[in-house]
Amino acid sequence: MNSLGEAIGNNFYALSLMWRICPKQVVHRAITRFLGYFEWLFYSAFFMKYVINSLISEKEISSILFFVIITIGVFGCISLYNSYVKGKIEPLAQVIINRELNVRIFAKVQNVELSCFEDESFYNKYMLAVNKADECLTEIIDLIWGIVFGAIATCTAFFLLYKIDKWAILFVIFPIIGNFGFNKVLGRIEFERNKDMAPYNRKIEYINRVMYMTDYAKEIRLTNVFSLMKKHYSEAIQELINTAHKYTFKGMIFHWLQVIFTFSFIFEGLLIYGAYRSLVTHALNLAELSVITSIMVSSTWILISFTESLMKGFKNGLFIWNLRSFLEYEEKIPEDYDGIDPGEEIKTIEFKNVSFMYKDKMVIRNLSLEIRKGKNYALVGHNGAGKSTLIKLLMRFYDPTEGEIFCNGRNIKEYNLQKYRALFGTAFQNCSIFSMSVAENVLLGEVSEKDRDLVKEALRMADVYEKVKTLPHDIDAMLTKEFSEDGAVLSGGEFQKIGIARAFARRCAVKIFDEPSSALDPISEFYLFDSIKNNCKENTVLFISHRLSSVQNADWVFMLEGGEIKEEGTHSMLMEKKGIYADMYTKQAENYLATPAHDIKNGIFDLKEVTHGKEC
Amino acid sequence: MEKSVSNHIFMWKLCFRTSPGFMIYTIYDAFRQQFLIFLEHTVAIRYVLYCVEYGEPFYKAFLVVGGVLILYMVAMIPDGYYVHRMQLDSKPRLYQALKNQLYEKAAELDLKCYDDPRFYNEYVLVVAESQKSVDDFLKSINTFVQSITLVLTTGFFFLMTDAIGIIFVIISFILSLIFAKKINRLDYELKLQVVPWERKRDYTKRVYYLNDYAKELRIYPQLGKYLLSDFLKCNEIILNEKKHIASKRTGLLFAQSYLAGNFILEGIYVIYLVFQAALFHTIDYSSAVVLFNRTGGLKRGMNMFADSIQAAGANSLYIGKIRNFLAYIPEIKRGVGECVQNKHGEIEINNLCFKYSWDSEEILHDISLKVKPGEKIAIVGYNGAGKTTLMKLIMRLYDPTSGEIRYDGKNIKEYNLNNYYEHIGVIFQDFKMYGATLLENVILSDVKDVKTVEKEVEEALDNSGFGKRLDSLPKGLYTSITTEFDEGGVDLSGGESQKIAIARAFYKKADILIMDEPSSALDPIAEYNLNKSMQKVAANKTVFYISHRLSTTRDADRIIMLEHGRIIEEGTHEQLLMLNGKYAKMWHLQAGKYIMNECSAQ
Repeated sequence: MNSLGEAIGNNFYALSLMWRICPKQVVHRAITRFLGYFEWLFYSAFFMKYVINSLISEKEISSILFFVIITIGVFGCISLYNSYVKGKIEPLAQVIINRELNVRIFAKVQNVELSCFEDESFYNKYMLAVNKADECLTEIIDLIWGIVFGAIATCTAFFLLYKIDKWAILFVIFPIIGNFGFNKVLGRIEFERNKDMAPYNRKIEYINRVMYMTDYAKEIRLTNVFSLMKKHYSEAIQELINTAHKYTFKGMIFHWLQVIFTFSFIFEGLLIYGAYRSLVTHALNLAELSVITSIMVSSTWILISFTESLMKGFKNGLFIWNLRSFLEYEEKIPEDYDGIDPGEEIKTIEFKNVSFMYKDKMVIRNLSLEIRKGKNYALVGHNGAGKSTLIKLLMRFYDPTEGEIFCNGRNIKEYNLQKYRALFGTAFQNCSIFSMSVAENVLLGEVSEKDRDLVKEALRMADVYEKVKTLPHDIDAMLTKEFSEDGAVLSGGEFQKIGIARAFARRCAVKIFDEPSSALDPISEFYLFDSIKNNCKENTVLFISHRLSSVQNADWVFMLEGGEIKEEGTHSMLMEKKGIYADMYTKQAENYLATPAHDIKNGIFDLKEVTHGKEC
Repeated sequence: MEKSVSNHIFMWKLCFRTSPGFMIYTIYDAFRQQFLIFLEHTVAIRYVLYCVEYGEPFYKAFLVVGGVLILYMVAMIPDGYYVHRMQLDSKPRLYQALKNQLYEKAAELDLKCYDDPRFYNEYVLVVAESQKSVDDFLKSINTFVQSITLVLTTGFFFLMTDAIGIIFVIISFILSLIFAKKINRLDYELKLQVVPWERKRDYTKRVYYLNDYAKELRIYPQLGKYLLSDFLKCNEIILNEKKHIASKRTGLLFAQSYLAGNFILEGIYVIYLVFQAALFHTIDYSSAVVLFNRTGGLKRGMNMFADSIQAAGANSLYIGKIRNFLAYIPEIKRGVGECVQNKHGEIEINNLCFKYSWDSEEILHDISLKVKPGEKIAIVGYNGAGKTTLMKLIMRLYDPTSGEIRYDGKNIKEYNLNNYYEHIGVIFQDFKMYGATLLENVILSDVKDVKTVEKEVEEALDNSGFGKRLDSLPKGLYTSITTEFDEGGVDLSGGESQKIAIARAFYKKADILIMDEPSSALDPIAEYNLNKSMQKVAANKTVFYISHRLSTTRDADRIIMLEHGRIIEEGTHEQLLMLNGKYAKMWHLQAGKYIMNECSAQ
């Protein structure tokens, strides 16, 4: 990211992107920047010189007045233009840029494959980079013109100085050294120091988080962890200070050099030189000397702001590069992929030797399975066995690393993706609730009059309609307090049931329930599985559950372990096999089955006997 | 105003007590900046021009300018020390001085303050951003002193050369203040109109960006269209609102920047100077040049002063919040009261009622319960039955609305809370790991001499089933948990973390152990293993165990069934089955399928 060519390329990209989005912004920013520098130079170099010269040469007062009035008139027009830009053009451009940029970004965000969200480095690098893209981009355009016109203004200022006295120009070497040389060293010192401090600052941030976040509040009260955090805090601060001390000496030296070179040498130097030229060699008159005094100040500051723009321009390169890579990212599974229409029926689904790597880890290994229309399938296994991944592969959130998935005999990659996905109704373990009405949350789209009964029916199936009925506007009640104070906030279990209702409401061939009962209590869970059994008779059903009691009714059970199907069959087949499924089942069931208390192996109170013995 | 002053005095006292030298230098530094600029840009330049205008000898100009140069060179030495040492030393200490107070308070705050979103957002979050208030305070000291120095020095120069010039500057300053106020008002009104739409717009953005919603967006493509049309609508409204005030805003900006600014200072004032210098000869040319150049500076000083007052007002609101937070007196006080006399006391709950706040529903009604030392109690019931709340009351995270809880014959309110907590061990479902060493994560306290506890910690980890994993760690007990702060640290799996949470209970040697659904998120095998290691901790202790899964609690000494905040059934598993009430129903629902299957298999 350091090469000049890349930096220029990136900034040019930003400029052309903005040109496509809002050309007005590009033009007006350029003009305002130009006029800003023009005003600065005009007053410090020309205006003063003219007035003083006229006074000294005792011109007619009226001609001086005429000049001042013309000037103030011209700048009145400029000021009017600037106010127009700031008052109207800018605020409107802000909205337009936000809209245009976000529409592009949204389209991309929606079209990239799901794994982009799960890949932390991708997410942090791109998604977060584009989060404030509109503000950043506007700033960059301003910076670009700052660099362009800053360079021109700097040269002009130096040239004007040269015109007055050609040796005076030598003094600008000092601020150039101060700005580009010592300032750069200072920047590096600061960078190194911040780098060394970063771990301690992170730690301090972390402690701060622990101290105010609700998650930790209980433990802070019940334990002494507060004293521990305080100790860590003190240690981190000591480390910060120790780090700072390492750089003190170097910092002081370059700080001194930077200030003296950038300001004192040119200001005081030029003053002495100017006094010498005026008083001793009489080469300059009062007007020229005045101009030198004002131009030395303006040229120094123009130079400083130019360097600042330049530095920022380099830094922004990374942001632009991320934005660009994101907008030009080639989707691996484009969401708008157009292919064959899969129809409305699913006769078979087949996994053939499917393997899937996720972040360099084999999550699914050489897995084959077959699913037939109208049957009821259960996926069981430990946490991390690959059950949810399998569902995601089926819905084509990911493509297999090896092997193929067939639907009705065709590789699912050949289908129009959106139409293919429309074949599935899915309830996820952690569903998200949107800040919309209950009905909209169930359908996740617009609700027409004829859909209303469908929504109610689905809510009833998910056993949450009774609750919804108690809300102020029934199925039109707003959920969450995001936008309105009287938005409804339901319990975790109730929100989950609304997520489940989505699967019920969807008219589709296959229903998938991915651990739908994780936030439900046993009774609700029982009713839910009952409801699935009764209401999805015509559908193919695929469900994941930890509680094996609900699995028994499935037509077929897949037992996953380590990304492989270890066992499959009906419940009774698997029980007879006495393999891992049977073991898992027995462990869960034994406490329900055993009658005498001492047989219990899965309770937590086994050692009761021993305990009592000791106590007595 | 009075409040603002008192808030700033509070801040000053805090900072001055922590780093007096730094604070004094900060004031000097702000003064120094403007004073040197005054010497350079007003005194020195004016003197050189004066020498040229009146043909004074060169050495005079040389001496004055040279003097300023030397002054600069000397002043910049301590300046570097200030920037690269004092600031870096003192700022973290100032933050710490403030934060330690806030943390102390946050730790003793009643837990219910966290439940109240208004209180939480208003006050608890001030802890999160308190650092900023110190920064803002230092910044406002700096601008305040700088602006005063600037106005006084430059003002003095104007008074000495041409006092009337000040009038121009003051008029320009006042006019631009008036216009600025109008612009602010306009912007504020616009903001009121626009903010709800902007929030809505940002919500759409969040939905698109967050992983949480990504799956739904992919399954329901029409959702995207729906959100997008909403987004465009919001943008359209914002655009129209802005268009609506655009010309008024343009006019005001023009009035502020030009009519109140350039027109007066670069137009009228220049004409005035020309007349004074050329016609009446009351001002010499060199003075006229410097006067003209410094009008901008003087006005900037006035603006800075106005800004610093405004910024101080804003910061004062924030400091006020901090002070209110610090002044909060918790209802449940720590560190006062008696110590628990006997280990293994009896717990007695009498007619306990509880609601979270006066206007909310009652969560627990008239609960009475006696628990003998060493008794194992299981608490079961539906979601929202009040199980967790009851436990929180026993832990005295809240105080009952009415009724009482007694431990070893005394109301728990009479005990010193710190001491009482030594008798309670807790295993939550949502326990936390801390970015600290393994040992510290087990003892959860700052122990001076860690060597003395090493053995106990090892034992605790061994008992919780972490022993093997401990042996595999290169730094043993001193391994950092999480790799966030230490690359040599380890990230533990969910199951491993849980073992550490259990080790905490082992280490603590409490006599009451409370377990709140520690296994609900686990798969059957992991749950089985967890229960195994919990058996050992439970030995010798009075135990409360909350669970959804009745299989894990059936052999408790007593099972308490809660419904809508009341104890509806109570007894051993067998007794409750005999009773054939709600517990029996729940049990049969859960066990039914297993048993049915068993029967058919036989």
